[in-house]
Amino acid sequence: MKEKNRLRRKRFIFFRELFKKKTVGGIGLAILVFFILVAIFADVLAPYPMQMGVMQADVLHSLQKPYIFMTAAEKQEAVMTATSLGGIHLLGTDSMGRDTLSYIIYGARTSVILCLCCMVLSAVVSVIIGTTSATVGGWFDLVVQRLVDSWLCIPSMLVLLMLMSMLGHGMLQMIFALSVPSGIAGSRIIRSATIAVKDSGYMKNCTLLGGGTWWKIVHHIIPNILPLIITNMAGSLGSVVLMEASISFLGFGVDPSTPSWGYLIAQEGKANMFIAPWLCITPGICISLMVFGANMFGDALRDLLDPRLKGGVGTFSIKKMKKLAQKQLKKMEKFRAKQAKGKVAGA
Amino acid sequence: MVKYIIKRVLLLIPAVLLVCITVFLLMRLIPGSAVDAIVYKYSSIGVEVDEDAVRAQLGLDKPAAIQFFVWFKDVIQGNLGDSLFQNKSVHSILAAELPVTFELGIITIILSTVISIPLGLLCAARQDSGLDIILRVIAIIFLSIPVFWIATMVLVYPAAWWGYAPPADYVGFLENPWKNLQMFLIPALLSALGQVGMQMRLVRTQTLEVMRQDYVRTAWSKGLNERTVLFGYAFRNSMIPTITMIGGSVSSLIGGSVIMENLFNIPGIGKEVVAALSSRDYPLVQGCVIIFAIYVMVINLVVDICYKWADPRVSLE
Repeated sequence: MKEKNRLRRKRFIFFRELFKKKTVGGIGLAILVFFILVAIFADVLAPYPMQMGVMQADVLHSLQKPYIFMTAAEKQEAVMTATSLGGIHLLGTDSMGRDTLSYIIYGARTSVILCLCCMVLSAVVSVIIGTTSATVGGWFDLVVQRLVDSWLCIPSMLVLLMLMSMLGHGMLQMIFALSVPSGIAGSRIIRSATIAVKDSGYMKNCTLLGGGTWWKIVHHIIPNILPLIITNMAGSLGSVVLMEASISFLGFGVDPSTPSWGYLIAQEGKANMFIAPWLCITPGICISLMVFGANMFGDALRDLLDPRLKGGVGTFSIKKMKKLAQKQLKKMEKFRAKQAKGKVAGA
Repeated sequence: MVKYIIKRVLLLIPAVLLVCITVFLLMRLIPGSAVDAIVYKYSSIGVEVDEDAVRAQLGLDKPAAIQFFVWFKDVIQGNLGDSLFQNKSVHSILAAELPVTFELGIITIILSTVISIPLGLLCAARQDSGLDIILRVIAIIFLSIPVFWIATMVLVYPAAWWGYAPPADYVGFLENPWKNLQMFLIPALLSALGQVGMQMRLVRTQTLEVMRQDYVRTAWSKGLNERTVLFGYAFRNSMIPTITMIGGSVSSLIGGSVIMENLFNIPGIGKEVVAALSSRDYPLVQGCVIIFAIYVMVINLVVDICYKWADPRVSLE
């Protein structure tokens, strides 16, 4: 019970620090939580929910203006002419008559699922490669590291495009293609952290007591490098969202029937840029917001969890420096004056 | 120094070999192989071809190890095979396109460095002033905005409002430098944006870090002016991690250039690789990936040499 309370208190302190010291990071966390909630409750929130896994289309109302930007007369007309789907379209519709708001809400679901899965999977991959490579050492380490080096030379975008065109356009393939390459790339940091842990006294002790590789990794290394793993995970979130959108934009993303923000920009937004600018602007804003939230939260987490990497906490300012220098000078003058009067020894 | 460079260039050879193995393995994992693509190509124009004959012709009926050595022997000799659909050798296609991609990459790196370093220094020198806050907010915005989104809008709206569009046809730099640069500047600037955001933040934090060091305090107390302290003492030391970052970002920069080349219709390797992937032109894809990997390695080498300039303590052995 005491342990539980202590943990709860620790967690409370962490969040208080996050919101107090790193307000932007707190805002980032809030944005992420918002998108996760939207993704979970997409079926409830969307005005036109998916039916049998397909977005509802209404060709009669294709490319309708967003309701919020309509004039009064247009609003009336929109309500009058509403047919089978009925109702209004708050953010307009695309060329197939799908409601943009619903599309974006379901797109959030796609992004969030991809984000969370990739985050976990890439962390697992990088931990497995990094820790085993460092703990086993020897030729195994050498071979693995050279392979990782050569892997890092191939641009991640190309690997992603290749994997997606090879594996097909499903959600699972996307998760695999996004997480495994980034996991391999992330394994280097994990490896160097593991090596730092490996040389410590308790690890030597463990070896003397007959601890195997597996035991060492699970009981000593992973708990010790956990902060690094967590910051790595949070740091990769933003790039996952951006990568997914870019890939969908190039036409190698998830199936067109799965709503995706990048796909909306590429297919609908680009083609109807003049008649329907909302199709391009709204998903872009959503992507930016999510990437912003992920990046800021990741940065704040890194600063809080890893005090060695404190970013931008310097208290340097030229005005302050000059004032300090002047103060020192005055002190010095006073001291000299005292010395001159012979009040201080050592003149 | 020369010795070091020679050593590094020689070390590139095993790295290229490993990249070739990786690419080869990746391409062999493809479920729909080149054979299917060729059979499909001929059957679409009404010619029936024997699948086994195609496989034998491509050498795909042999064991993977032998396939690799046959292929690798060709690669060493500079023969990357023939494109399946273009009736040209991969080598000739890439030779024409590499300068274009290279130019785009170099302009992007130069632009992002030239913009981000002075701004980062300015932010650090005027920490917590209004200017600093504004620049930091802009940097965060640059970091978050997807490049392809802003590029699509830049491509379409100015054309409609002011009738401005970047030139559609590629002109060589030597033929008409101004027209050539006109084509590259906007895509390079756009793909530099995200980089600028990241680098600016890094330069700022690093400069602040250096400004807290003892030797900088000594410089201040010696009565040196701000310019001397900032450029003579802090600048080079704060550049060390920034150079590392520029080197590390080359591979993500190529991702950006793939998108830019496709959007702005620049005839580079990035455009070619997307087209080749869509039509399943495997030899061409292989060639593109290997060329890109070598490109990354060469830039990393240049960055490592720059490292020596920034930090004389680094031993090049």
